[in-house]
Amino acid sequence: MFTTRVLRQAAQHAERTPSIKFIGKRTIPASIDHSPRPHPASPSHSLPSSFTTGSSHTSFSAYRDHAQQHGPLRKTIRSGDAAGVGGAAGSELGPVTPPQGIYFDRNELPARFHRQPLTLAEIEVIETGGAAAFA
Amino acid sequence: MLSQRLIGRAAVKSAFRPSGLPSIVPASRWRRTYATEAEERDLVIIGGGVAGYVAAIKAGQEGMKVTCIEKRGALGGTCLNVGCIPSKSLLNNSHLYHQILHDTKHRGIEVGDVKLNLKQLMKAKEQSVSGLTKGVEFLFKKNGVEYIKGTGSFQDEHTIKVQLNDGGETSVVGKNILIATGSEVTPFPGLEIDEKRVISSTGAIALEEVPKKMIVIGGGIIGLEMASVWSRLGADVTVVEYLDVIGGPGMDTEIAKNIQKILKKQGINFKTSTKVVSGEKTGDEVKVQIDSSKGGKPETLEADVVLVAIGRRPYTGGLGLEKIGLELDERGRVIIDSEYRTKIPHIRCVGDVTFGPMLAHKAEEEAVAVVEYIKKGYGHVNYGCIPAVMYTFPEVAWVGQSEQDLKKAGIKYRVGTFPFSANSRAKTNLDTDGMVKMLADPETDRLLGIHIIGPNAGEMIAEGTLALEYGASSEDIARTCHAHPTLAEAFKEAAMATHSKPIHF
Repeated sequence: MFTTRVLRQAAQHAERTPSIKFIGKRTIPASIDHSPRPHPASPSHSLPSSFTTGSSHTSFSAYRDHAQQHGPLRKTIRSGDAAGVGGAAGSELGPVTPPQGIYFDRNELPARFHRQPLTLAEIEVIETGGAAAFA
Repeated sequence: MLSQRLIGRAAVKSAFRPSGLPSIVPASRWRRTYATEAEERDLVIIGGGVAGYVAAIKAGQEGMKVTCIEKRGALGGTCLNVGCIPSKSLLNNSHLYHQILHDTKHRGIEVGDVKLNLKQLMKAKEQSVSGLTKGVEFLFKKNGVEYIKGTGSFQDEHTIKVQLNDGGETSVVGKNILIATGSEVTPFPGLEIDEKRVISSTGAIALEEVPKKMIVIGGGIIGLEMASVWSRLGADVTVVEYLDVIGGPGMDTEIAKNIQKILKKQGINFKTSTKVVSGEKTGDEVKVQIDSSKGGKPETLEADVVLVAIGRRPYTGGLGLEKIGLELDERGRVIIDSEYRTKIPHIRCVGDVTFGPMLAHKAEEEAVAVVEYIKKGYGHVNYGCIPAVMYTFPEVAWVGQSEQDLKKAGIKYRVGTFPFSANSRAKTNLDTDGMVKMLADPETDRLLGIHIIGPNAGEMIAEGTLALEYGASSEDIARTCHAHPTLAEAFKEAAMATHSKPIHF
């Protein structure tokens, strides 16, 4: 009897509401406003106007000049290193053929033009008329 | 990277191979691509310091193709290589040396001939540093981060040109770019840093001999930590601070005055409210002209080494920000919004080079948050809850607002303190200097700030940071059981003092 009373008291104690509570599972809001807001540690608590205009580009054409999609989308900047693929006409890049007496080495070309090495297994397959592939 | 992309192509090819025909052709045989330019990366990070490397690892974990560019030749930035880590090694070992010399006899330990081996002290420091930097390199490999050793600069908004450390040049194209170039020592005008006689924090962790006399310009955290190291090793150290209190921004004034007294007792001299007018190197000596910050009390100090520790400034040199039109504020920080975006939204920035305190753990938090913003669209850093620690002995640590902050903002507060001299564990350790101070809202009891001087304060502040982050009240801490006998009981008792009354004081 006494044991039951003690157990009941213990159970009652366990069910008491603690003063420090678990506030529940973390939830992420379904929609988050990503519009630029000042950084919390910014001393001025404001953003320069270039942030709030929505784009750093003055026109769609200027945006296209800088846009990238697996490389420059369209590069019309033609100064020095900044010239992108297609930034200059083919004729401006000089002749395709080498000057007389100069020869291109295949190995200087991009890797896709290199001779592909044969493996020993391939050689063996060829020499055995394909039989080695099934050996 | 290239091969990863091409494996996909090989897989497509193999799908059309007649069934039953075994593959004799290695995957490389199918390398056919029209792309000759660099592969576009999901994230390119400039800087492999704490901000950069943490962002790189996090991005790798999130499945992004990430490249990290670092010019130092070792990862970890200032913190791991010439900052937090090496200084902690020196602080720990110089404390041991000082304790053996001055503090063991009354504890019942008599030690014979004690000698300082500075070379070995530095070697131990270097071992710690190299172990940690190599550890980060391993984590890069583990998380698939491409690591380029070189100096990166913007070629255009998506392309980073890299001058490789081993010679040559390459470029990396990124959908997103993260600037994490950190900070550098702010020089003192008219006193050229040579890292021998006039040193920065970098030189202060690599002196070849213990200076007889040392002047530390700047009584902030870096200055006081280095002053402690060399004072313990035998130098006569004088700290010159322009303000009337030491500790730098954020340290509670009451705490700052207390630690100044403790450090003074340890043998460090202080000249507060004092400005350095000029400095001059003459042979093996450096003469420093000082004056009262208000003027009228000129004095000349002489030392064989002068440490310039007046702060750090953002580092953006050679980054080519002008090529892409990125703006800096009046203190040279990259301007960002709340999601770490610059005005060019795919270029983001974290760490010392932008807003907020220049602390490694703040940079780490931002690094994780910025990757989460890129990948998931949300991130989290609470700038009101970033702890700061000064690793002197005793340590000083704080989180949240100081008493002077609250006064300035006109916020009402209640104070509760508990001294370590009333803590049982501190008494048994014979390390009773210091106190825990809590500030709470008088109406709601919500914690506003926690300030600690004491042994292990840097570890203890973690509990305060968690409480503050959770929006706890001082009563919440007071009602939480703390093990006995521990230093952490002082933390609980300070909470009790704030909420009602402490038991042991």
